[in-house]
Amino acid sequence: MKFQIEDVTVYFPYDNIYPEQYAYMVELKRALDAKGHCLLEMPTGTGKTIALLSLITSYALSKPSNPIKFIYCTRTVHEMEKTLSELKLLHNYQLQHLGPAAKILALGLSSRKNLCINPTVVSAENRDSVDAACRKLTASWVRELAAENPRIPTCSFFENYEKSASEAILPPGVYTLQDLRAYGKLKGWCPYFLARHMVQLANVVVYSYQYLLDPKVAGIISKEMQRESVVVFDEAHNIDNVCIEALSVSVRMQTLEGATRNINRMSQEIDRFKATDAGRLRAEYNRLVEGLALRGDLPASDAWLANPALPNDILKEAVPGNIRRAEHFLSVLRRLVQYIRGRLQTENVEKEGPVAFVASVNTQAGIDQKMLRFCYDRLHSLMLTLEISDTDEFLHIQTICDFATLVGTYTRGFSIIIEPFDERMPHIPDPVLQLCCHDASLAIKPVFERFQSVVITSGTLSPIDLYPRLLNFNPVVSRSFTMSLTRDCICPMVLTRGSDQLPVSTKYDLRSDPGVEKNYGKLLLEMVSVVPDGIVCFFVSYSYMDGIVNSWHETGLLKEIMQHKLVFIETQDVVETTLALDNYRKACDCGRGAVFFSVARGKVAEGIDFDRHYGRLVIMFGVPFQYTLSRILLARLEYLRDTFQIKEGDFLTFDALRQAAQCVGRVIRSKADYGMMIFADKRYSRHDKRSKLPGWILSHLRDAHLNLSTDMAAHIAREGIKEEGSQMIIKVAVLDLSIACDST
Amino acid sequence: MADKQQQVVVKRARHKSSVKDPGTPGVLKMTKDRFTFMANDPSSPVKLNVEFRTIKGHKFTKDGTKQALLNLTQDQGGNYIFEFENFPDRNVCKDFVASAIALSGEAGRTVPEKSAVPIQDEQLSAAEMERRIKLLQEDSDLQKLHKQFVIGGILSEAEFWATRKKLLEQNYSRRPKQRVALKNDMWSTKPLADGQSNRVTFNLTPEIILQIFAEKPAVRQAYLNFVPNKMTEKEFWTKYSRAEYLHSTKNVIAAAAEAAEDEELAVFLKQDDMLVNEARKKIRQVDPTLDMEADEGDDYMHLPIQDHGLPRNDNKDVLDSQYEPYRRSFSQHLNQHAAVVLQGRVIDVELGDTRSVAEALARTKHAELAKDASDVYLDKERLERISRMTEIEDLQAPRDPAVAPLSIKDPRDYFDSQQANAFSTLGDTVSGAKQLKCSVSTREAYCSLKECISEIKFQGLTEPTINSEVAFKVLNGLAQNISSNKYHLGRNPNESILDSLPKITREELLLHWSSIQELLKHFWSSYPITTKYLLTKATKLKDAMSQIYPKLQEIKESVQSDLRHQVSLLVQPMLQALDAAFAHYDADVQNRSARSGERPNGF
Repeated sequence: MKFQIEDVTVYFPYDNIYPEQYAYMVELKRALDAKGHCLLEMPTGTGKTIALLSLITSYALSKPSNPIKFIYCTRTVHEMEKTLSELKLLHNYQLQHLGPAAKILALGLSSRKNLCINPTVVSAENRDSVDAACRKLTASWVRELAAENPRIPTCSFFENYEKSASEAILPPGVYTLQDLRAYGKLKGWCPYFLARHMVQLANVVVYSYQYLLDPKVAGIISKEMQRESVVVFDEAHNIDNVCIEALSVSVRMQTLEGATRNINRMSQEIDRFKATDAGRLRAEYNRLVEGLALRGDLPASDAWLANPALPNDILKEAVPGNIRRAEHFLSVLRRLVQYIRGRLQTENVEKEGPVAFVASVNTQAGIDQKMLRFCYDRLHSLMLTLEISDTDEFLHIQTICDFATLVGTYTRGFSIIIEPFDERMPHIPDPVLQLCCHDASLAIKPVFERFQSVVITSGTLSPIDLYPRLLNFNPVVSRSFTMSLTRDCICPMVLTRGSDQLPVSTKYDLRSDPGVEKNYGKLLLEMVSVVPDGIVCFFVSYSYMDGIVNSWHETGLLKEIMQHKLVFIETQDVVETTLALDNYRKACDCGRGAVFFSVARGKVAEGIDFDRHYGRLVIMFGVPFQYTLSRILLARLEYLRDTFQIKEGDFLTFDALRQAAQCVGRVIRSKADYGMMIFADKRYSRHDKRSKLPGWILSHLRDAHLNLSTDMAAHIAREGIKEEGSQMIIKVAVLDLSIACDST
Repeated sequence: MADKQQQVVVKRARHKSSVKDPGTPGVLKMTKDRFTFMANDPSSPVKLNVEFRTIKGHKFTKDGTKQALLNLTQDQGGNYIFEFENFPDRNVCKDFVASAIALSGEAGRTVPEKSAVPIQDEQLSAAEMERRIKLLQEDSDLQKLHKQFVIGGILSEAEFWATRKKLLEQNYSRRPKQRVALKNDMWSTKPLADGQSNRVTFNLTPEIILQIFAEKPAVRQAYLNFVPNKMTEKEFWTKYSRAEYLHSTKNVIAAAAEAAEDEELAVFLKQDDMLVNEARKKIRQVDPTLDMEADEGDDYMHLPIQDHGLPRNDNKDVLDSQYEPYRRSFSQHLNQHAAVVLQGRVIDVELGDTRSVAEALARTKHAELAKDASDVYLDKERLERISRMTEIEDLQAPRDPAVAPLSIKDPRDYFDSQQANAFSTLGDTVSGAKQLKCSVSTREAYCSLKECISEIKFQGLTEPTINSEVAFKVLNGLAQNISSNKYHLGRNPNESILDSLPKITREELLLHWSSIQELLKHFWSSYPITTKYLLTKATKLKDAMSQIYPKLQEIKESVQSDLRHQVSLLVQPMLQALDAAFAHYDADVQNRSARSGERPNGF
């Protein structure tokens, strides 16, 4: 359908529109007009993504003289694929109504691992080895050598891409990662470098958060995006965590050992170069004297991750004299590694600020703050000079330099925590040094400054006034929408007692109580016998899930559950989890029905939809609090209290309930869908906890459903399923009949 | 079928060079592998002697049209047209030709023909014929019907198959057979320990072995490698059980120590490499909207706190990397188990023979993986699914829901449920009658009794008197029998009246049931009668049905007395259906004769 919002004609690919989608578009349009940032919460299952896409593309179409670029950030690659396929739908619709004028170029961008089509490279196991394998074939020095010696392998796709030079462009259209690979194969061009190049020209770019928030990646990929861009962070309820992670580093014993090996290898290389090609090292020295950390214009294939510090904080100065010479720099690194090793020997937990740490490095290892700051760029330069292409081997020394640069650059908002062992297993020594960032606003600040509109949106941003404080920005629009419903398509319940009327909870003192475990198992058993198709269960942690599933197995409860449905489980191995999910969907598709055990805050809870028959019921076992004994969390809470006056308890509850809401929100995707949600913990019945849930869940939570036991919940579920499913069942029955008539 | 009955067919026909040609009268003779045509006029140049091998198809005009033509197409492009004196003659030849072509097609040709089919004519390609023959071979009931009606001359080949178009089409796309699924039951490795000795017993059945082989490809491979060259079957399973026991004790170090001493045992204790490889292949097939592995590729932050404050447990177990291969998680097993159950029974092998089970599984797995690599179709399907998933359904105009067709394999279930219905209606009428009696006054009862007595007085008793006790016993027995049947019916799906009947009666009943169904279907589909052809067809069908009618009566009388009631209940609906058909036929005939007075041509 086509309609007008003020001066913009909006092209919306469906015949109908929800009222809240329209309201959402209106607010968004105002924010774009004001060229300001905005914060929008809209329940899952109301078509947020398509509303966003269709408004922003229509807005761009209505202003052809001043085209805005649209940068859409997703949490995960599979969300990227989903977004792009929605965009495809929209684009087809716009082409139908506007003709060629609506043509845009939209593409997704990911790492080499997901885009490479060279069979020898892509077979490598992880991202780093794929990157390294690619560099081995495409680095400028390798190609120079290959020009003389044809026996040195190169990548034909990259060579073809380079040869076609300016002709290598993507025709307008919407490209998912798979489409990019297919196009690359067709043309014989490298899809990764093609996409990297086209990002600058595209109208719509879809990529991961990290490409904007992590300065290392943003520095090479998002550097040249124009100011007239709209940046959208979708599913942004965890954006503060991503920002913090982007600026945190941790160093373990293995890292130090690896770094020592790396330093030895580099010193060998230096000796070799001294013997064969001393001019090269001298050239590097001269370049550094002139103040250029890097060789001016690097070929795309040589580009490496950029500086981990934020662009505004990087010193525009020459590299200090005492690390200009390669040998000197290596000895500085050696001393730094030695110093950190010494710090890791500690018996007690230590916590200090960056200033104190830098001072202690200076006195004990003789490395001053400026040297620390330049570590990362200096290392980068050295590795290019030494022509090292197996970068995956050098991750450890990179981590050390990463740490050095950050600790040398920032004086507040960070702390350094050294733990000699894991809190839960004090007998196993596992020392770790962590540089953790507490201030989420640091990483996102350059994004707010550089782009004219930043949209932060999700299904759960409650309480909505907390985010501007955490991220330190002033939105021009900040709204939370509720869901308009003609019928109850969600049915939330709070279960506080098991079938024996004893309270259930994952609170510390009740957590390993066999009675609670049994009650949880009984609850699931009741539900699998009542609810059709798919059921999703979320637990508070992997260890809790493993424990409870094992205990269900031993007591035979699992066997009874399996008589009704197949059981799949999330593990920490992504490959296995992905296959389990795929099978889970197959089981739901074929009518067998299945249960999926998953972990709140895990990867599945973060990005996988369990809509329609893939999830008729979701059970949240317990309240997913963070691991409160973690030193990092404690340090962050302290920082939040001191700088933002946010109480520890409030933040923890807020964080736990946004995760719980996120988990249960997975079951509903549109209003034709329906799903039940069970919060199984007695703590949800308390008002201070419950009130932190988003409004669209609270408005469906009836008073009668606040304090249920297993048998009552089962009764409600049975009735609910009957009512909700009746329409569908009638439809199917009629069809069955007609088929039966046909076949006789 | 036809060729078994008739080896040679000889008919009068005219050979024509084209449809317009008046033709040469003569005699057409067909044998199994060739047909010959001799003109009546010996001086005529037309003389044919053609092998069926060279014939690739045949066309014919519809029954009831102007000419009874049969056109045989040769694969070089030539054709032979014959005109017959009447349609029955033509049809006999046509059916004969069809089977002859099919036979010769099976023997020689492999490429089925694809020539343009004229609208009026039906052409039977060899492939089509083959499919029919195959269907007949697979389904003995169908074969019986075919024999009875087509070869018995009641229905023509085309008529018979016309009602089974669906069957033919479905069969074309090879419908998978229904199979029993695997049990969703994890073989719990809980050993049975008798308290006295240190002995632990494991129970293995062929079903469990199949499950182990399907879930653990490494064990399967080990079995194929070791048994029987290196160890006996018993030794193999003992070793396997030992490994399982070690796992169940969760003592990683002990497992590693034992594995170091015994390399065969190590195979069971280590992680399954084949599964890992398989997973890597399968991961390329999954829906990209689920693919979490791709995220890993996009993750530029090598951090311990990836999961937003979720405590990581994997880092704590760094105790020794040499024990790593011996660690095995329960969740992994759980996922693998569910995947295998979901896939279902992939092999069709008798379970007793362990070796053949292992080999068959290995084969199917291999084939599956090879197939996956180059499946473009799957790719397309995946894309379609994604685009379907992305649409918001209730904002869109409704689309037809995807439904799978019902597959009722056993018509008996349907039949039985009809009987149950018949019973319940019967029960209703009985109770209704009772009510009627209840309202009878004593006076009326007395009157009727008096009437009876006076009647007996007048006529005398024809039967010998029976002892009232015996009579009571008989009546009681009968009543109980009937009511117990009524009670049991429908309660237990596995027991039906049919099963309680003697085998011969049962089969006869079923045969009659299916043949009546077939006949009725054709009978009713030939109404309203618009052509002479349909009239003859209806008459023929009616005759066939009236032949079955007395047979049903016979069955009813032949069974033992205690079953007679049930059999008559079974037969009743058939008879009713037949009666209805007869009544319709008679009414139609009367109508027709009344009208034919007005209109001389009968239509």
